[in-house]
Amino acid sequence: MVISRKSIPRRTFLRGAGAVLALPVLDAMTPAFAAAAAPPVRLSFIEVPNGIIMDKWTPATEGTSFALTPVLEPLAPFRDRMLVLSGLDQGQSKGLPFEVGGDHPRALTAWLTGTHCKMTSGADLRAGISVDQIAAREFGKYTQLASLEVGLETAEIVGACESAYGCAYYNTISWRNDITPLPMENRPRAIFERLFGDSGNIDPKAQLALRQEDRSILDAVTADVKKLRGKLGGPDRGKIDQYLDAVRDIERRMQLAEAQGSEHEVPHMGEPVGIPPVFSEYYRLMADLMVLAWQTDMTRVIAFQVGHEMSGRAYPEIGFGDAHHAVTHHQGDPEKIGKTIQINIFHTKLLSYYLGKLRETPDGDGSLLDHALILYGGSLSDGNLHLFTDLPLALFGNGIGGIKGGRHVRYPKGTPMANLLLTMLDKANVPHVDRIGDSTGRLELPTA
Amino acid sequence: MIRTRALASISMVLLAAVLMPAATLPAENSASPAVAHGPFDPHQVWETFKIYCMDCHIGPRAPAGLNLQTLDFDNLDQHGATWEKLLIKLRNREMPPVGTPRPDAATYQDIVTAIDAERDRLAQVRPNPGRPTLHRLNRSEYANAIRDLLAIEIDVADLLPADDTGYGFDNIGDVLNVSPLLLERYLAAGRKISRLAVGDSAMHDTVQTYVIPHGLSQTDRMSEAMPLGSRGGTAVRHLFPVDGEYEISVGLQRGRYDAFMGMERERKLDLRLDDQRLKLFTIAADARAGALEYGAHEDPDAHLKIRLPVKAGTRTLVATFVKDTVMPEGILGGREAAFFEGVGSVTVAGPFNVQGPGATPSRERIFLCHPAAASEEQPCAEKILASLVHRAFRRPVGADDLPPLLALYRQGAQNGGFDAGVKLALEKILVSPEFIFRVELDAPEAAPGSVHRVSDIELASRLSFFLWSSIPDAELLQVAERGELHDPSVLEHQVRRMLADPRSQALVANFSGQWLFLRNIARIQPDPAAFPAFDENLRLAMAQETQLLVESTLREDRSIGDLLNTDYTFLNQRLAEHYGIEGVYGNEFRRIALKDQNRRGLLGQASILAVTSYPNRTAPTIRGKWVLEQLLGSPPPPPPPNVPSLKEDAGTKALTMRQRMEEHRANPSCAACHRLMDPVGFSLENFDGLGRWRDQAAPGTGPIDASGVLPDGTRFDGPAGLRNVLMSKREQFVEAFTERLLTYALGRGLEEYDRPVVRRITRDAAADGQKWSSIVLGIVRSAPFQMRRVSDGDL
Repeated sequence: MVISRKSIPRRTFLRGAGAVLALPVLDAMTPAFAAAAAPPVRLSFIEVPNGIIMDKWTPATEGTSFALTPVLEPLAPFRDRMLVLSGLDQGQSKGLPFEVGGDHPRALTAWLTGTHCKMTSGADLRAGISVDQIAAREFGKYTQLASLEVGLETAEIVGACESAYGCAYYNTISWRNDITPLPMENRPRAIFERLFGDSGNIDPKAQLALRQEDRSILDAVTADVKKLRGKLGGPDRGKIDQYLDAVRDIERRMQLAEAQGSEHEVPHMGEPVGIPPVFSEYYRLMADLMVLAWQTDMTRVIAFQVGHEMSGRAYPEIGFGDAHHAVTHHQGDPEKIGKTIQINIFHTKLLSYYLGKLRETPDGDGSLLDHALILYGGSLSDGNLHLFTDLPLALFGNGIGGIKGGRHVRYPKGTPMANLLLTMLDKANVPHVDRIGDSTGRLELPTA
Repeated sequence: MIRTRALASISMVLLAAVLMPAATLPAENSASPAVAHGPFDPHQVWETFKIYCMDCHIGPRAPAGLNLQTLDFDNLDQHGATWEKLLIKLRNREMPPVGTPRPDAATYQDIVTAIDAERDRLAQVRPNPGRPTLHRLNRSEYANAIRDLLAIEIDVADLLPADDTGYGFDNIGDVLNVSPLLLERYLAAGRKISRLAVGDSAMHDTVQTYVIPHGLSQTDRMSEAMPLGSRGGTAVRHLFPVDGEYEISVGLQRGRYDAFMGMERERKLDLRLDDQRLKLFTIAADARAGALEYGAHEDPDAHLKIRLPVKAGTRTLVATFVKDTVMPEGILGGREAAFFEGVGSVTVAGPFNVQGPGATPSRERIFLCHPAAASEEQPCAEKILASLVHRAFRRPVGADDLPPLLALYRQGAQNGGFDAGVKLALEKILVSPEFIFRVELDAPEAAPGSVHRVSDIELASRLSFFLWSSIPDAELLQVAERGELHDPSVLEHQVRRMLADPRSQALVANFSGQWLFLRNIARIQPDPAAFPAFDENLRLAMAQETQLLVESTLREDRSIGDLLNTDYTFLNQRLAEHYGIEGVYGNEFRRIALKDQNRRGLLGQASILAVTSYPNRTAPTIRGKWVLEQLLGSPPPPPPPNVPSLKEDAGTKALTMRQRMEEHRANPSCAACHRLMDPVGFSLENFDGLGRWRDQAAPGTGPIDASGVLPDGTRFDGPAGLRNVLMSKREQFVEAFTERLLTYALGRGLEEYDRPVVRRITRDAAADGQKWSSIVLGIVRSAPFQMRRVSDGDL
């Protein structure tokens, strides 16, 4: 008999639809900065695939007194923190004359990079560094993990990518540099282990010995890599450099872990089991882990991809079994449009759960939500026609850099979305960045 | 498949491939029936083009950017991508367009043959083998390497993230990147694995749970591993890392809202280890059945546990019910998947009170010596580590390999003794770049852009990763180290030996798992409203059937073409019932002769029909595209952007899917592709979204019309009709298969210069019955498999 997966007993972790984490008492593990004056800003970027039915997303009027649309309605509890941003385009998603197909992957890759990805099935993937990774370079100085990449879909599906574009262009929104796409981790347990290790409650002495061993192994490996690098030719060197870059990143993490010493305690909670079979449980579990990652200050930057572009996922729990991508190509069929809207609303309801969790979680003088700047949206507006203009975007971050929420703002036609990304970095106090991809300047966000 | 993107990068075609002495060319060894042709006559080709093509394809603004005047008719290596594209257009008779003067059949054939033959000749004389990028082991290669190196089975999906795919496969060097996340996982995996393999006595206790999917019906004896007279339950292979005590517990299956299933009556649970009964538990009936919520009472499975000493090693744990006469039924919970009673999980916690490392195959493999005195320790460690490095790095051990490992050994030994030292050094081996990557080096003095044979050592790894998705075994490595592997007869012997070895199952699982999309079976989400009968048993059975079918063709060395037309398949009871085939009982698979014409070959397999469907209905276009792309190697181009709406009038709803699609095809911008894809897909409409036969799509819609016409006028009807069409294109199928297998074997996307190689392998194989072995050997003997191009800078 085939067994799907191994895991810690479900009892110790999850029960029922609520998927509530057995959270430890967190006072004991409130990180060092709690005492400091200003808690750090956290950043997260959340993408939903296959576009949104825009007339059920975009409020009819601008300013503060707009009426919430059906897709935004689940976010009512966060209305005062929310900026609905209309009119922003991702011009780099547009195909060049010789490019065949590939609207979805181009749009997804452009979303946080502002670059036009190279059409290739695999050889010489190329895009640009994504905004989360720019932030991670800065914020990573203070946290063990520079960033966390989270997804709700596995990369193992075969044949889901159009042939001219490699699957990396569908499976991630995060690029470490122009040639290194970062995998989105979709296994809750792996994220847990990444945050808190896999060795359970080991005493500090043993942990120190383990760290010394890791250090020795990395030193030995670094020596190997350098030797090998000298013998390799051009493109192979790129791969080895990725490896070396990864070694350095882990060394940095280990140094930070040592410097921060015992202030970081491993939470006393059961590790997550495999992937919950019901999507909403899966989403909530990941949301809980993302909250935990910020709460323990293991990282301050998260990229979260709710589904792959062209995802064939169905959501039977909301009452129908149609594949997501298929219904978004509704071609005017009211039934399919209706189903797409239901999926869009389902996603904002789940977002509302995540935001609610952040609001419930104390952080310094307020909550995690008070100290977070979160971008939610899609890389396509109209999924039926594959439009990259007037993208669906909502920003949550009341008070960050003086941002004032509770408004719907429309920008002039053709304003690059990358301008928003650049502005987000400013607001999060990332030292000045000149441009991201095709940005042309900063965006004016409403301030108090 | 060959990418059209090459067209956009004509300028990147290699300018100078260094001339190789003809005698060293691998293809010279194959007894190829060369294409019948005289010396290539550029003038003749030019004249033909002048008559039929030059009206349009001339000057800088020629259609499709094809200006025939820019081509060098004396050197078909130049602008190879354009020549290949031309060949396809001419072979398919797509050009010149219908309605303009066209050559007669003989002229078409002559010109195709002439270009083909000249490209083939040039590929022999001036091979361009391409250059695979430094290749990181993917997840399954890593797991197999660990198995072959250390004799332990790991659940790699638990340890490492999934790999990206390119060109349809997950073993493409270009897309196998390294990120900090991945290296972190390699470090963690290295630690876990070395601890398990060495049998670390200082190991902390851990908990491992094996979860059984909710939708798995457990109404029968589940497999051969289960005792006779048992019903349901599961068998798991668990690695007990050391001699010590372990606690084994069983969880009962739960339904929606976590209520326990099957509490209406008393049940007996049989817990067994390596076929010895550990305990027979009684689970009392509970009147509150179905209402049991956790926390309210003691769970009815709380007592299903036992703590006992177990010797180290991989052992089979069985938890099953003693068969009773009541047949429980699945409960359909609204629109959710079905839930069934049975065993829900098996958990092993431990080790506690460790006695020692015990005797395991892993330790036997690792510890070639056991130092009796302190003075023997260092030499013994050297011996052990040299052997591990040799296998793990797939090459002879060098002088500078051991010192850093011995330093680690000493560090580990200082803290925890001899075994701990070996463990730490092993940990390092498992994250070393030479284990993680398949390293191939250019000769230091080789000229940039020149081509050379890979070394025998490198060839051994190319072979083992192609056929086994793993490292070479001792024999292969020995042959290579003796410098004999490039010898054609030695090479052929090794290939045949490796194909016959059970490890070649990896070729079936990984290659056909991706080529045919079988891997997606694990992730289909049939809508319970549309497919109430679907359960996990069917999911498992569908995947198993096709795996067995493809494997049987490999083991019996059948023709690849047979895959389209096998008159047998492998069924268990669940799948036989799905197909409406009687007389198959039990969960074991067996070979069954097929009487139904429509079930024959790949196109009758439920797995393939299911992965090319939507969750709630069939998708003729997806099926059509799958056939064109995966079986015939001619994918339709992606839909144009801003596809116009089908029809927005109210009448849309009343049309059948076929009528709606036909409307689709009336639109010229859609028709170009859909008139090809749709008839193919519609001919399979009698198979529903899970591959079950049906006469009508829905009650009252009348019999399904599965007839169709291809653009060339061929009429056909139903799956059997489609199969006949495909059988008539057997050559194309085999060529497409070869393209896919070559991509997989090389771990890189194919380029225009590989095209003649594919044609030659296909031609050679045709002379040998298109057998698996003839195509595999054709690939192994080809220039791209045996040679590589020296890097010419940063390209």
